[in-house]
Parts: sequence; structure tokens; C-alpha cells
Amino acid sequence: MSSERPKLGPDIPKVVTAWISASGRVVYLTKDRNWSEDLGDAEVLTGAGAAEILAWAAADQTRVSDPYFMQVTEDGQIAGRETIRESIRAKGPTNHPMFGKQAGNN
Amino acid sequence: MYRYDEFDDTLVRERAKQFRGQVERRLKGELKEEHFKPLRLQNGVYLQLHAYMLRVAIPYGQLSARQMRVLAEIADTYDKGYGHFTTRQNIQYNWIRLADMPDVLDKLADVEMHAIQTSGNCIRNVTSDHLAGANLDEIEDPRPWCEIIRQWSTFHPEFSSLPRKFKIAVTAGETDRAAVRVHDIGLHMKRNAEGRIGFEFIVGGGLGRTPYIGLTVREWIAKEDLLDYLEANMRVYNRHGRRDNKYKARIKILVNELGLEEYKREVEEEFAAQNSWEKVVLPQAEVDRISAYFAAPAFAKLSAASEAFEAFKAASREQARWAKNNLRPHRVPGYISVHVALKPQGVAPGDATSDQMRALADIGERYALDDIRVAHEQDIVFPHVKLDDVPAIYAALKAADLHASNAGMGSDIIACPGLDYCNLANARSISVANEIQAVFADPEFEDEVGTLHVNVSGCINACGHHHVGHIGVLGVDKKGEEFYQVLFGGRADEKATIATIQGPGLRHEEVAPAIRRVVDRYLALRRDRSEKFIDTMGRVGQAPFKEALYAAA
Repeated sequence: MSSERPKLGPDIPKVVTAWISASGRVVYLTKDRNWSEDLGDAEVLTGAGAAEILAWAAADQTRVSDPYFMQVTEDGQIAGRETIRESIRAKGPTNHPMFGKQAGNN
Repeated sequence: MYRYDEFDDTLVRERAKQFRGQVERRLKGELKEEHFKPLRLQNGVYLQLHAYMLRVAIPYGQLSARQMRVLAEIADTYDKGYGHFTTRQNIQYNWIRLADMPDVLDKLADVEMHAIQTSGNCIRNVTSDHLAGANLDEIEDPRPWCEIIRQWSTFHPEFSSLPRKFKIAVTAGETDRAAVRVHDIGLHMKRNAEGRIGFEFIVGGGLGRTPYIGLTVREWIAKEDLLDYLEANMRVYNRHGRRDNKYKARIKILVNELGLEEYKREVEEEFAAQNSWEKVVLPQAEVDRISAYFAAPAFAKLSAASEAFEAFKAASREQARWAKNNLRPHRVPGYISVHVALKPQGVAPGDATSDQMRALADIGERYALDDIRVAHEQDIVFPHVKLDDVPAIYAALKAADLHASNAGMGSDIIACPGLDYCNLANARSISVANEIQAVFADPEFEDEVGTLHVNVSGCINACGHHHVGHIGVLGVDKKGEEFYQVLFGGRADEKATIATIQGPGLRHEEVAPAIRRVVDRYLALRRDRSEKFIDTMGRVGQAPFKEALYAAA
């Protein structure tokens, strides 16, 4: 039970995810420092430099809220112990398949 | 029901206007999220898994048709066409854009509604018995006292930054339908030895990670002393409640750490020390003014029996079953209370579409004296209905797919939104609840089992009240997998009991079959059909049920 997410070591592939401040929609940080609703656009980060990118995201406070690291595989698929949570967050509620991105409902 | 006066109206509209400015500053980047967060929470706005969530206050669960229609309009215009009625008698929307929140608050203000004190470390929306004013065993309507407490607590400067959130519930029936013993303060209206009506004052109940049944601090407190005694309790809590650890900050921890006697001593000392100028001398005229809003409606003089109702029951087994399970006796002859279970098979418990909300509004206006209640079981109740109108109401409910005939039964499950929506959850609760509902899909089987309360939470915060379910289910995270612990023996009524965790968690797909085995064990063990699940468990103990729970695991 926590809104705090697990800490991920530098070697674990990760992306930065957040919520758009105006809409609350889930987004992922891209290589060109934009935010995309498509996880496939996200930049996969490894190494110590990732922390700087998260710090940059945290400073992008007007556009987004509460950025954090989300674990992925090297090719950008959701991974790790938060896979269920992040899969639901990426797609939409499992009880309402007609809502969320899973329904193309953007 | 209570109608806003000019002060209420001004207060709510100014608050909405103030929040509009705060949202604008946030969206322009003038307010950072860390500074904006407490402001949005004070207006019921959370950032959840997929989007912002808005929690709208429904004081003591009472709505008019006009208000329900606006809730439907908000669902259509700003959300995805549905809302979620909660265990705190409120409604939540899951998809509203922050940029739209000020417009939503304005729409709510137009019908005397708001989202104030639905979040944050303040005194939250006061809850009550959904049958208040209608039920047989009530000594007095508790709603005027809920309203008095609402007015006293709204924006109370001394209690706007408490160690933690604070929930008060009031009931006045012999049967406690408001779960007052699992609230921070529970008020149970009772007569003293002289026959005067006052309140049993219960403190320190609560669920969450450390569940407690509340303890009686005063067997009876007079009405005229209620607000001062509340204030004395709040001051002791405000003074000693822990602010260093949110998990130990609720008043239940304070009461249990101090011990009842020391806590009582502190409260009585504070109560006695209040200066005359501090006392909230509630003028009887003001009590009468507020009570007048809750005066009994002009009930018709009717026969206790209704031919139309008898014919309705005789017409089909489906209708007879609905009447048996979903109607509650009314104190006035010829009237009845209708319990609309928002728990059809396969739907998230407590969810209602905008069309369903409009159907409920129409029924409320046409047949139920414009009085609609939200029950903490996440159901809707029409407290005042003529028996003669039951056939028409049933037809209207059926047309809106609101005729689930399972009120109080195994499939009338309380469940939080869980991991499908909630940012704090560890596991899904809706899907597990739906699978348990399917255990009771056969109406004959469900009727054979009878009264059974199954409560499901997606994390230890216990928004699904798993601690007080006859069967409780708690979702936990185990190395990234959803597991579910099962609890037995809880109840939220006047015999409130915290349920006992039975053992290791089950996998998602194991839960419903395990519940079926437990229910089958009950059917095998009960004395006869009159012995309810919870009573059989009380008589024979939990061991045989635990054995059934893990029989195939």
C-alpha cells in the first residue's frame, strides 16, 4: 500500500512516466523530451544518467505531475514487480474494456 | 431535506471560485504540484491511476432528484458516462480533467453540492443510516444532528489540519446500519435512565491497517452538550495525535495507546475546562430550524396491506424474490423502503451509469417523495415508497437494469475500486468481487444461503471494509503477483467485530472457488435455514470454515 514506487537500480532498464497536469492522462518521456501517451515512444534509460533525466522531468511541473521511474525490458515492455499495475495504468481498467487507451479512447 | 441558506450558498460558491483560481495558477505553472496537491485534496480531487478522480460529498447520503440528475449530467459531460457510489455514501468520478474541475464544482454548487472535506486531514462528510426517518426501530431521526455536525465542522479552523482524516457517523436505530463502531467517532442515539434522548459516544473505531472497534467514552451525552463534547474529543486528539507517522496518526491509535480510562480523563478534563465563552450554546430555535428540514413528509393514510403489492408478488417468482430481498419495513402503514442494489452480476459494485442515475432520479421524484439515499453498502435506497407503487417502481428499475434482487445477500458485495483505478491499491478488487458474485448467480442458491456480507478491499487501507465482512477479502502484492487473504467473522452492525485473517493468501483464480467451499460448509453446518452464516460461524467457530477455505489449495 503506497503511492511511492519501488526504487530501481541503475542497471535496470526504465522509462520515466507521469500524468499530464491538465488532463491527468498517463504519459511517458520521449528521447526529445516530450511526453507521449504511447509507451512505445518512450526512451528506455539505463545507467547513472537516468537520475538526471528524472530530475529534468520533475522540473517540468507545468506539463506533468509526479514523474517516476517505471521498470521495462530493454526493448521497452513493462516489466518487474509492478507489471500488473503499470499494464492497467497503460491500457485502462480491466473491468471497463471500453474505457482507457485499450479502447482507443483517447 | 436540508436546503442551503444564503451562508451555505455563498460559502460553496466562493470555494468553487477560489479553486478555479488555484487550478488556473497550476495550469499556468504558477503553482507546483507539491503546493497544489493539498489545495486540490481539500476539494476532493485526487490523482489516481489513469486520471484525476473527483469525490463529491453527499451529506449523510441524501440526494434529491434534481441533484441526482446533475450527477448524471456531470458523468456525461465531463466523465465517461458513469459514477461510483462509495462506502462513505459519496460519489466518485474517475476521468475528469483538472481543467474541467472548476466547471464541475460550479454545477454542483447550483444544486447545493460540493466536494469540500471529502479528502484531507479534516472532519470528513458525516455519514448516517440510509433508512433514517423511515425505519421501525429508530428513536429519532439522526439527520438533523448530522447536519448540525456538518455545519459545526465545515471549515472549522481549529480542526482543518488534524493529524489525520476524521470520520463521524450517527445512527438512531436499535440496529446500527451506519457502522458507527468503526468510525473515529460514532454516535448512537439512545435514551438515558430518565428517558431523555441523547448519544452514546463511541471513539476510536476504524479499519485500515490497524482495525479497532470503537470504545464507549460516554454511555450518554445530552444533545445540548454534543458539540462541546465533540470539541473536547477533537482537542485531545489534535493535541496528542501523532503527526510523525501517518500510520499511527488516527484517533484509534491514540485511544488505544493512552488506554480508555486515561483518554476519558483527558476528554472530561477538557470538557470541564471549557470556558463559558467557548461553549457552543446551540439555541433550541436553531435545532428546531434544522430539524424542520427533516420533518416527516406528509404520508398518506393507507391500509397496511396493498392489493397491488400482493398481486405484484404473486405474479412471478422473480418479483416475489425481489420483494423479499430488497424491501425493508417502514414505520408508516402502507409504506415501505426500497433497496436498489447496485450489484448486478459482473458490474463494479457501486457503479451506476448516467442513464441509471436519471432513472433513479425519475423514480425518486415520481414515487419516493424526492428522497434518494446512498447506503454505505454502495447501494441506493428509496426510504419512503407506497406499497401500491412498488409494481411501477420495479418496472422502472427493471427497465434501467437496476432490479438486482440481492440486497444483503452474497452477491451484494462491498468493494473498493482497487488496482483498476486506485493509485494506492496492491491488487484488483472489482474482478475478484465479480467472480465471487458469480458463485451466487443462481438465485435459488443465493436465497438458500441467505444473508451474507462479503467485503473486498484492494489494499490494507480497507476502503472495501474487508475487516467487517462476514467474509472479507484483502488484496495483497506478493512479489508482483496479486494474492488475496480471506478473513472470517467480521460485522459492522451493533455487534461490530473485526474479522480474523485465516492464513496464506490465495491466487486470484482461487478466491471464488474457495468462497464457494466456505458457503457450502455453512449450508452443511447450520442448524436450519433461520441460522445465518455469521451466526453459524459464531456457534461452531471458524475452524471448519478455514478447513473448507484451504481444502483444495
